[in-house]
Amino acid sequence: MPRGDLAPKIGLDRVGKRFVTRDREVEALQPIDLSIQDHEFVALVGPSGCGKSTILNLIAGLLQPSGGVVSYDGVAVSALNRQVGYMTQKDTLLPWRTAADNIRIALELKCRAVPRAEANARVKQIIELVGLTGFERHYPAELSGGMRKRVALARTLIYEPETLLMDEPFGALDAQLKLLMLDQLQELTRQRRMTVVFVTHDLGEAITLADRVVVFSARPGRIRVIRNVDLPRPRDVFRIRFSEAFARLHEALWDELKDEVTRGTDV
Amino acid sequence: MSHSSIIAGTAPTNRARLADFLSTTIGRTLARLVLTLLILAAWQFQPDQNLRFWMSGPLQIVARLWSWVLDGSLWGNVGATVLAMALGYSIGTASGVALGLLFGLMPRVYRVVSPYITALYAMPKIALAPLFVIVLGIGIESRVALVALTVFFLVLNSTLDGVRNVDRDLTRSLALMGATRFEVIAKVLVPATLPWIFTGMRISVRYAFTNTLLAELIAANSGIGFMIEYYSGVFDATGAYAAILVLVIMSVGLTELLTLIEGRMSHGHRH
Repeated sequence: MPRGDLAPKIGLDRVGKRFVTRDREVEALQPIDLSIQDHEFVALVGPSGCGKSTILNLIAGLLQPSGGVVSYDGVAVSALNRQVGYMTQKDTLLPWRTAADNIRIALELKCRAVPRAEANARVKQIIELVGLTGFERHYPAELSGGMRKRVALARTLIYEPETLLMDEPFGALDAQLKLLMLDQLQELTRQRRMTVVFVTHDLGEAITLADRVVVFSARPGRIRVIRNVDLPRPRDVFRIRFSEAFARLHEALWDELKDEVTRGTDV
Repeated sequence: MSHSSIIAGTAPTNRARLADFLSTTIGRTLARLVLTLLILAAWQFQPDQNLRFWMSGPLQIVARLWSWVLDGSLWGNVGATVLAMALGYSIGTASGVALGLLFGLMPRVYRVVSPYITALYAMPKIALAPLFVIVLGIGIESRVALVALTVFFLVLNSTLDGVRNVDRDLTRSLALMGATRFEVIAKVLVPATLPWIFTGMRISVRYAFTNTLLAELIAANSGIGFMIEYYSGVFDATGAYAAILVLVIMSVGLTELLTLIEGRMSHGHRH
C-alpha cells in the first residue's frame, strides 16, 4: 500500500545501534523514535559520543540498525540511500582534484549528466556562494581546514539533494565566517525546500537554523527532549541571538544539555 | 683555508693547493682523465702475453666494437635486448595492473588464490628461464615471457596494496552521490591507486633489465648477454670485453633515462 502521504520523510522506529568490539558490546544508541517531516530542518544536539553521527549514518544507509526500522519516504533503508547528500565530519575530498573539480564531481556522474558548460557555471556560482573565489585551482592539501569544509559543503549543495545530512559542518570555521555560512545555508535550504538533519554541539547554531532541536543524552544515546523553534523565518542569523525569544529557548535547552555534557565528560 | 691543512705533520701548502684544485670542476675532470689514461695505458702496455690472452687491451676492444658497428651485429643484439626488455615490461605491467585492480575489487577471490601468488612472488623467476627455453625456444619469446612474469608480480603486488589502501570513505561518499560501481572505480579507485602503480613500475625497470640479461646469458641466440656469453665461451676476451662495454653504456643510459622520467613526473604530480 502506498504510504507516501502519511509517512514522514525520515522515520526512526525503535531504532537502536550496538557496536560489537573484540571483547565487548558498546551500545551507541538506545532504541529511539524520531520522525522528520518533508522540508523540515532538524538539529541534533548532544555531548560527543551520544550517537548523533550514528543516526546520520543510519539514515544514509551506511549502517544498519541493531534493532528497529529506519525508513525514508516510507520505505525501509536497507542499502545506500542515494536520495541524501551527506556532508560527513571528515571531509572526503579527493586529493588529486582541485577545489573546483572536487565540487563538480557529482555533476559529472551519469545519473545527472549535466552538460559541461552548465556544470562549470554552477561550480562558479557555488564557489562564490561559499566564498572560495580565487581558490578554484587549489588542491585540498593547499587549503586550510575551514576552506576544505566549505569545499565539502559546496560539493554537497551543488547537486541539490532533496535531503541534506550534515555532521558538524562548521566546526572548523571562525565565528564570523560561521555566521555567513549559516546565513547561506538557511537561504539555500529554504529556497530549495530541502529536508535537513544537522548534527552540531553548538546549541546557538542549532536554534538559529532549526525548526526543531533534538537534545540527546550522553552515551548510550537517548532523546532527552525535543523542542520546536518557533522563531519566524527568514531569520537574521547575525542578530537573532540577541532576541529575547532566542535567549529563552537557549536557556531552557542549555539546562537540559548541561547535565549531559558534564555527564559525558565524566565517563 | 682548506681543511686538508689541518692534518698534522704534512706540508700544508702543497696539499691544500691540490685539494683546492680537485674541488673545482676542471680539476676533477682533469684528474679523472689522467686516472683513466693511466689505467688504460697500464692495461694496453702490460708486457705479459699470457695475461694479454685473458685481458685483451683497450685498443683491440675498441677496434672490435667498431667492426660490430660496421657489420651491423651491434645494433641487432642491442635491439634484441631492448626489445625483449620493453616487450616483457609492457606485457608484465599491463597484466599486473589489470589483475591487481581485479583482485583488489574481488577480495574473496583474491583470498583464494593469494597463497599461489605469494609463493610465485617470492620465488626468483630466473630459475624458470631453462623451462621457458624448453617451452618457447631459444628465441626472444622465452626472454619476453621471463621478463613479463617478473614485472607482472611486482606490479600486481603494488597495485593490490594501492587498492587496499584506498580510503573507503572516499569511495562511499561518491557512491552516496549516486555514482555507479564503474564510476567509483574510474573516479576514485584508479586515481588513488596510480601512485602505487607507478612505484611498482619504477622498481620493475631494473628487475626487467637484469632478468633480460640473465636470460640471455643462460640460453639465447641474440642480445648483449648472448654476446658476452658467446665470446667468453670461445675464449675471445676481446669480444667479451667489447660486449661488456656495450652493457655498461646501456646501463648508464637506462639509469639516466629513469632519472629524467622521474624528475618530470615529480614535477607534474601535485601531491
